Amino acid sequence: MNVASILEKRRVQWNELERLCDAMENRGRTDNVSGGEHRGAQGVARFSTLYRAACADLALADAYQLPPNTVTYLHQLVARAHNQLYRATKFQPSSWIDVIFHDAPQQIFADPCVRVATLIFFGLFALSMYLGYNEALFPEFANAMVGASQLEQVEDMYEKPLSGSLDHYVTMAGFYINHNTGIGLQCFAFGILIIPCVFILSYNAISLGTIFGYMARPDVTGGDHFFHFVTAHGPFELTAIALSAGAGLRLGLGAFRTGGLTRYDSIRRSAIRAVPVMAASAMLFVLAAFTEGFLSPSPAPYVFKAGWAIMSSGLISFYFVVLGFPRQEGPSDYFANRTRHVWDDAEDGNTVFEDQLIEDTANAT
Amino acid sequence: MSSAAALDTTIAVVTPENIAFNYQLAGPFRRLPAYLIDFAVRWVVIIGVVIVMLLLGLMIDISFLGPFVVAAAFILNFAVSWFYGTILETYYNGRTVGKWATGIRVIDVEGHPISGTRALIRNLLRVADLAPMAALSQLGAEDAPPAFLIPTAMIGLLSMIFTRRMQRLGDLAAGTMVIIDERSWRLPIAKVDDPRVAALASFIPGDYRISRSMARTLAIYAERRHYLTPARRREVAKHLTIPLLDRFEFRKDVDPDLLMYSLYYKTFLAESSTEIADLGPLAGYSPLQRDVNKPTGLSDTI
Repeated sequence: MNVASILEKRRVQWNELERLCDAMENRGRTDNVSGGEHRGAQGVARFSTLYRAACADLALADAYQLPPNTVTYLHQLVARAHNQLYRATKFQPSSWIDVIFHDAPQQIFADPCVRVATLIFFGLFALSMYLGYNEALFPEFANAMVGASQLEQVEDMYEKPLSGSLDHYVTMAGFYINHNTGIGLQCFAFGILIIPCVFILSYNAISLGTIFGYMARPDVTGGDHFFHFVTAHGPFELTAIALSAGAGLRLGLGAFRTGGLTRYDSIRRSAIRAVPVMAASAMLFVLAAFTEGFLSPSPAPYVFKAGWAIMSSGLISFYFVVLGFPRQEGPSDYFANRTRHVWDDAEDGNTVFEDQLIEDTANAT
Repeated sequence: MSSAAALDTTIAVVTPENIAFNYQLAGPFRRLPAYLIDFAVRWVVIIGVVIVMLLLGLMIDISFLGPFVVAAAFILNFAVSWFYGTILETYYNGRTVGKWATGIRVIDVEGHPISGTRALIRNLLRVADLAPMAALSQLGAEDAPPAFLIPTAMIGLLSMIFTRRMQRLGDLAAGTMVIIDERSWRLPIAKVDDPRVAALASFIPGDYRISRSMARTLAIYAERRHYLTPARRREVAKHLTIPLLDRFEFRKDVDPDLLMYSLYYKTFLAESSTEIADLGPLAGYSPLQRDVNKPTGLSDTI
């Protein structure tokens, strides 16, 4: 049998598969192809039969001595049908609840990157706050870091007591969601390059810290109003920045600390680990934005705002520590435990080997 | 299949059916237009929705709805600029509007469709791939405002150059790759309309077995010969046909191109070796060496 007649015989089925693929790509179902013959379960079965037949043809292409352009065609046809048969898995909202309330805190508690980012952020924040506050010892610090014009701008902004209307609140909440969460996501994304992430983190820490310190000076006008404004949303927002940088650092560190995996697999695994932390950070940013939009600019008494700040700090601590504390693993985490044991064994193996090495060296001498 | 990996931009994917098929990877010159189209679509969506909301606000009561419109515009801007790609790639099987227009698709490196988490990672990390930003004033436009930044995408470009699957950093982290998903679904087999081809094919000895590599070479030659001039065709074909002329005991002046084409015809198209081709006006001619003194139309008429 020659190639042309094989092709003539097979192309009937290939054309049918193509029509089904067309229908799937255009309408997402195969009901109307060839008069309802491919409806429902029957259609699925027919599709997979045709797909497997095309796969078999491709596998036998070499034995049939099919021309290369026909092989290319078959590659495309199989790929196309493959893409329709194994489709993308959609987002499942229920799984995201699990991510936010189980995976994220566990990951945050266990991840040294989050600790490093938090230390960098709050360390620089506290340091520049002190330097900005202490006018006697460091008179030029605030001007050098933030610039005189911006300091004046901040002073002007908080000269008058806080008052706002609903219009203003809603607009500002939207603005903060857009702007601040955007900075957080950017910080996360640049984490894969590490240096820009650390730069964004430090820049925010130093400029925010300096402004806080400067506004706390006794001779600066508007200091009271400033702290009236920032108290309520501070805990949410500052933690969120540190968290997003922590998630980003985890991403970038995967390229260097591979832990026995190939570099490529290590990057992928650390990206998967970083996502829950970033999701938690985005959630905190949104909470901060609503607080900053609605509560912070309102003329509510300071006690209430301070109470809100304490409550949010408590919530964050609960989230990180109570939800994040390593749990007794259930049977569903059998494989996780297995891997850990394998790792322990490997470490033990190392020490045994090292001991032996030491003994050998001792014997040799 | 050749044993060494071909120096090409294809990547083999093994399906659960244990079939390895090839995907062609999409390089920067296909992905840049896709990105630009997506960029345009994003802004059209944002501006369009804001205009519609403003019109609605005008019709009802602008003073009450105004702040909500502004807030919604901010949130929309945030959602669209960060999650446009994620949502479209998840719901449309690895394609955004730009990717659909340029015929490319994102899949994961094992050939499976992209999952939501992977789409999220690769779209969030696009910011890092677009770095570093360059101000217009650095690029020569002296009077441009310094705030106007243009992403140079050098990081992503370098990453694509240095990785096997042409992945940018976002693809590396998410474990995805971008492939060409074109719809050129013609079933191609070259047509033979030259009567001399069948005539010459009938003189090829029946005991000549065509090897696999020869069959592949013939098929590639038949596909590509349309793009070559006649002189160039002969030059290319000569390398294979000189030993074959001896083997078949043909005359030395048989056109190499014609001989290749006849072999192709015999391998892929001829019904069976026993059937005698209808030679028509060419009956009686012979390309054989021993018939050299008889007149032949095969080589002179080219």
